[in-house]
Amino acid sequence: MNVRAQLVMVFNLDKCIGCHTCSISCKNIWTDRKGAEYMWWNNVETKPGVGYPQKWENQDKFKGGWVVEGRKLRLRAMGKGPTLLNMFFQPNMPKLDDYYEPFDFDYSNLYKAPPGSDQPVAEAYSQISGERIEKIASGPNWDDDLSGSQVYAVEDVNLEDRKIVEDYGRMFMHYLPRICNHCLNPACVASCPSRALYKRGEDGVVLVDQDVCKGWRFCTSACPYKKVYFNWQSGKAEKCIFCFPRTETGQCNACAHSCVGRIRHVGVLLYDADRVEAALLKPDDQLVAAHREVILNPRDPQVREAARKNGVSDQWLEAAEKSPVYALVKEFAVALPLHPEFRTMPMAYYIPSLSPVISSGADLHELADHGTFPLLEKMRAPIGFLASLLSGGNQEIIAEILRKQIALRLFKRAGNLGQPIEESILKNAGLDEAGANRLYRLFTIGGYTERNVIPTQQREELDSHQRKGASGFGILKKTRGPK
Amino acid sequence: MLNNFIFIVLPYAALALIIFVTPYRYFSNRLTWSAYSTQFLERKTLFWGANPWHYGIIPVLAAHLLGVIFPGPMKAFLGNEFNLLVFESIGLALGLFAVFGCLILTLRRVNTPLLKRVTFASDWVLLYLLLAQSLTGVYVATFMRWGSQWYLHTAVPYLWSLLTFNPQIEYVTDFPLVFKLHAAGAFVIVALLPFTKLVHMLYLPFDFLKDPPILYRWRTK
Ligand code: HEM
Repeated sequence: MNVRAQLVMVFNLDKCIGCHTCSISCKNIWTDRKGAEYMWWNNVETKPGVGYPQKWENQDKFKGGWVVEGRKLRLRAMGKGPTLLNMFFQPNMPKLDDYYEPFDFDYSNLYKAPPGSDQPVAEAYSQISGERIEKIASGPNWDDDLSGSQVYAVEDVNLEDRKIVEDYGRMFMHYLPRICNHCLNPACVASCPSRALYKRGEDGVVLVDQDVCKGWRFCTSACPYKKVYFNWQSGKAEKCIFCFPRTETGQCNACAHSCVGRIRHVGVLLYDADRVEAALLKPDDQLVAAHREVILNPRDPQVREAARKNGVSDQWLEAAEKSPVYALVKEFAVALPLHPEFRTMPMAYYIPSLSPVISSGADLHELADHGTFPLLEKMRAPIGFLASLLSGGNQEIIAEILRKQIALRLFKRAGNLGQPIEESILKNAGLDEAGANRLYRLFTIGGYTERNVIPTQQREELDSHQRKGASGFGILKKTRGPK
Repeated sequence: MLNNFIFIVLPYAALALIIFVTPYRYFSNRLTWSAYSTQFLERKTLFWGANPWHYGIIPVLAAHLLGVIFPGPMKAFLGNEFNLLVFESIGLALGLFAVFGCLILTLRRVNTPLLKRVTFASDWVLLYLLLAQSLTGVYVATFMRWGSQWYLHTAVPYLWSLLTFNPQIEYVTDFPLVFKLHAAGAFVIVALLPFTKLVHMLYLPFDFLKDPPILYRWRTK
């Protein structure tokens, strides 16, 4: 057993309202710079939709992540030999148009324009070339809220039945906020010939060493989630840093902190690093179970002993015990990895969104026995869609979670109305009363310190020379070009 | 006078710059160590520029170096007429390939508005210099036949005499002007290398070939 600790974020999709506050706070802190205008380390997508960059989920196109070959994993894009031959031109890298050409508006025209017969307008200009943009062709949330669904949503690879987009009565949507998953088997790290990307041993955060990065761009292509970006100004790769300057001091990430829906949970997971590769060799629909097996119980004395031996401090062990993430991912098993079949073992987990409670008058929906929720098969968001997104196609896992969410609602509804609750509803969903109450707190009224349990990192444990060198992002030094 | 400048002043200046400036840049600000790829902004023409250029220039450059490092074996190898013919033909083809690529790269910078913001004076200097360099190279290869052979008997001993600080420029002073331009170009490129994005060719990654796929860094261990 090789126990390591990992900081993990859980997103409760059931509560995400798609307000993009997370994206804005992230952008203001980290990517409000030249060369990074187009980057959204945190972004929120509408599903179904093509996302950002467009069609990132389509690995036939982008060749990200890993595939199983015999009893081994290999990068989908290319092995080490071809890596050397493809250094001059990156065959699978997304281009600017796959994201969008970043633009701003020239507000000075509002007061500088000469007198005339019409109102002056703030014209759009490209933040790259500086040239005026006649017609903005794309943006960071171009297909937000299903806009242009005939063009974009139909292209969602998770849709089984594309006709659904044309059928207003059956159409559905939910949001998908995404950051870097800080994977246990990160394809970006494996693909970097310069070895600039690394995973921090202590908390699992995946970073790009800007000094070592030479801009070969294999990471940008290899990440199946397209969460490593190329800075066109500095000529180097950049990515979400899990707000490590904040988490190191026990504060939660800017995106999670600013989330108005409080959909995010941050906490520690302990995992067995020796079991990761074997777990990823499982077939797609068993990957979620494999994920759960790799995650260890922080209350198990053997695990604690092994963790201590690996240098996990008592403070971190305590945080792991209290971890809301452990509760959601493993104990209640309601949070799922995004596209586990990309086989990077992503460490961001999603609680699938429960379709809305609908009136029993609707003829489209057959309701379950208890009369409040539609039958699982008749849910507005098809189980198959959620399964394609979150469980490698395993519909049973999604159904289990939806049943838990429904049982929880029925339980609380009965409590609110002072009605008796049938024991069997909770039990059939694999919950008990105490568990249901705990889950309810986590989903709803749990405060900041319940939703986020982030142990600090003891700076004094560090070698002082190393500490001096770890000045963060290195942006104080000059890169090329005008300021 | 011109000979002294091209064959003594230039090479020693270039040597000094590359030996002292390169490590300085490496240790003082590695943030600028990049090929400054522009593929993100424009990829269609880049494919037809970057690939032919690099696939052409790298083997040709390697052949130049091979001659300097192993003159003996190279002489023996090229003493065979068939080998010489094949070697020269491949070299010429690669040279033309590089010229084609470099031409595309230059035109691409001219014709792509999006690239304006990422194109600096040094990019133009490099592209024109490298274009001129590959053109003079192809000219020499075409009109001064069997260069791979006479190179070993003239330029190589001259380069060695430079390295041993006993410059014997008689080896090369009788060549026509194109050859001198080609030599001068080479020294200028080496001199500019540490100041420009050309440094990208100096830091080739090989560690990853033997490393395990996932790299960890521990701050506490
Ligand atoms: C030895 C291995 C080399 C590697 C891995 C390499 C890689 C690269 C890469 C990735 C680019 C950026 C292309 C892009 O815009 O995306 C580039 C550009 C360039 N390389 Fe290399 N290169 C190598 C050797 C060389 C050599 C030997 C030369 C010339 C003597 C050279 C000259 C250039 C030039 C001039 C550019 C800029 C092209 C432009 O302005 O568009 N490279 N190289």
